[in-house]
Amino acid sequence: MRELNALVLENVRIAENIYSLTFATEEPVPVRCGQFAMLGVNGFPLRRPIAICKAEGNRVTVCYQIKGAGTRTLAETYKPREHISVLLPLGNGFEVGAGQKRVAVVGGGVGIFPLVSVIRAYCAEKEIYAYMGFRSRAAVCMEYELRRGKSLVISTDDGSLGRRGTSVQAFMDEIDKIAPDVVLSCGPVPMLRALKSALSGRGIPAYASLEERMGCGIGACLVCVCDKNDGTHARVCKDGPVFDLSKIVL
Amino acid sequence: MADLSVTLAGVKLKNPVIPASGTFGFGREFAELYDLSLLGAVATKGLTLEPRQGNPTPRIAESRGVILNAVGLQNPGVERFIENDLPWLKSKTKVIANVAGSTLADYEAICARLDGLVDLIELNISCPNVKCGGMAFGIRPQDVKEVTHVSKGALKKTPLIVKLSPNVESIPANARAAEEGGADALSLVNTFTGMAIDIERRRPVLANNTGGVSGAGIKPIAVRMVYEASKAVRIPVVGMGGITCAEDAVEFFMAGAAAVQVGTQNFSDTLACPSIIGGLNDWCDRHGVGRVSELTGALKLN
Repeated sequence: MRELNALVLENVRIAENIYSLTFATEEPVPVRCGQFAMLGVNGFPLRRPIAICKAEGNRVTVCYQIKGAGTRTLAETYKPREHISVLLPLGNGFEVGAGQKRVAVVGGGVGIFPLVSVIRAYCAEKEIYAYMGFRSRAAVCMEYELRRGKSLVISTDDGSLGRRGTSVQAFMDEIDKIAPDVVLSCGPVPMLRALKSALSGRGIPAYASLEERMGCGIGACLVCVCDKNDGTHARVCKDGPVFDLSKIVL
Repeated sequence: MADLSVTLAGVKLKNPVIPASGTFGFGREFAELYDLSLLGAVATKGLTLEPRQGNPTPRIAESRGVILNAVGLQNPGVERFIENDLPWLKSKTKVIANVAGSTLADYEAICARLDGLVDLIELNISCPNVKCGGMAFGIRPQDVKEVTHVSKGALKKTPLIVKLSPNVESIPANARAAEEGGADALSLVNTFTGMAIDIERRRPVLANNTGGVSGAGIKPIAVRMVYEASKAVRIPVVGMGGITCAEDAVEFFMAGAAAVQVGTQNFSDTLACPSIIGGLNDWCDRHGVGRVSELTGALKLN
């Protein structure tokens, strides 16, 4: 975990309301797939937690959706050659076990971005079956990255591209055919809830990366907790953001 | 190289910069970023006798120049703190245990349990008193005095800081009440009660509806309150509220603070406290100030 002043290399729109920001750090920062960064935005006290899509050497790419004033400022004012304050890498990230060969990745909305890092990390050694859901054709992005695995099924809520429906429906239609050893997911809570319920009783290990409003991003402030089945809380930023789907309450 | 050391209720701190309770956990996470022995002390996450789960999420919101939080005192309980975190934290820096309770007996018991184990105790009196209709202990002067007196009675070795709420009628009256109750020092301000609304959903952003406002935007109010408190009492005052840089800290010293706490800025910049310590030294050197303690109360009114 490092507090750095990084150099913006690129900050471009890649889909409706979605931007891709690449920055360079002075020294390479080792990043595991599914980890995230806290990005400082001038004039806003809270940093924005954003999933890391790609990390190659000292170049890190994050993708984010414009949700409010902070992310709008991030998109509009952080041009190449500007500096940005970043804290990274944060969180536990996704890990695929040695014995898990067939990996299903199920994403929805901005939840696809941490899964891009999973596909990049494991596409050479695992069979990756990707199911990615978007609101509509205009929101679809990073197709090239998502296609690095064995297969990709795109779905849109309005049917304007790929299948009509959700990525969970697309995945469940093929689950018996692909027989995954593990399922990795990220997306809105209703999507994760649907996935959890669809997988219940099947005995397939499943992990989900959660999103929550954060304070410090490093586990100190206890702002971003989630409920676990045993009645205790876990910190999304430090104990997560990736959790065993069967052990959390959504 | 200025002398940054200060003495607070008989406890010598190597410098006057303390991460504020609730923004720093028990220090372990920030220790991954810098050496905690750089700090004057650490004010721990608020502790209660029993573990507490805290409030539902979202627990944090942002508004211009400020944040709001409603964590709700989630903590592992004082016993687990003593067992798992205190020995480690004590090996790094001075420890200020921030404590809270729902009854006078809670305050008495937690103070008794921590007496002699930590360097200072900071009493969070902004919690609802369950035996008094849920009104916070820190609102009325007579309640401030009582909770201070009961807590002080349980402390034979460790000095007591009373952390004042700003959501009160009179800061001087409450400051004096804490002093009369036996406080060895005061700290202020705790957060201001506020609300942020998600206008699309027509609902408060925080699950708890209201939360405590902190951050740079509250600083002028906090400086005024620290000034008022320090004028009202003879015991030392620890100032906080929106400090983001060394110059902000200097304002609090001039207003009467003997030391400062830094809270929300730890979220904006994890290295805020070491930066402020370095900046204080530079500021003192540039201004020919040999000892930072000379600045306390150096304000000249117009």
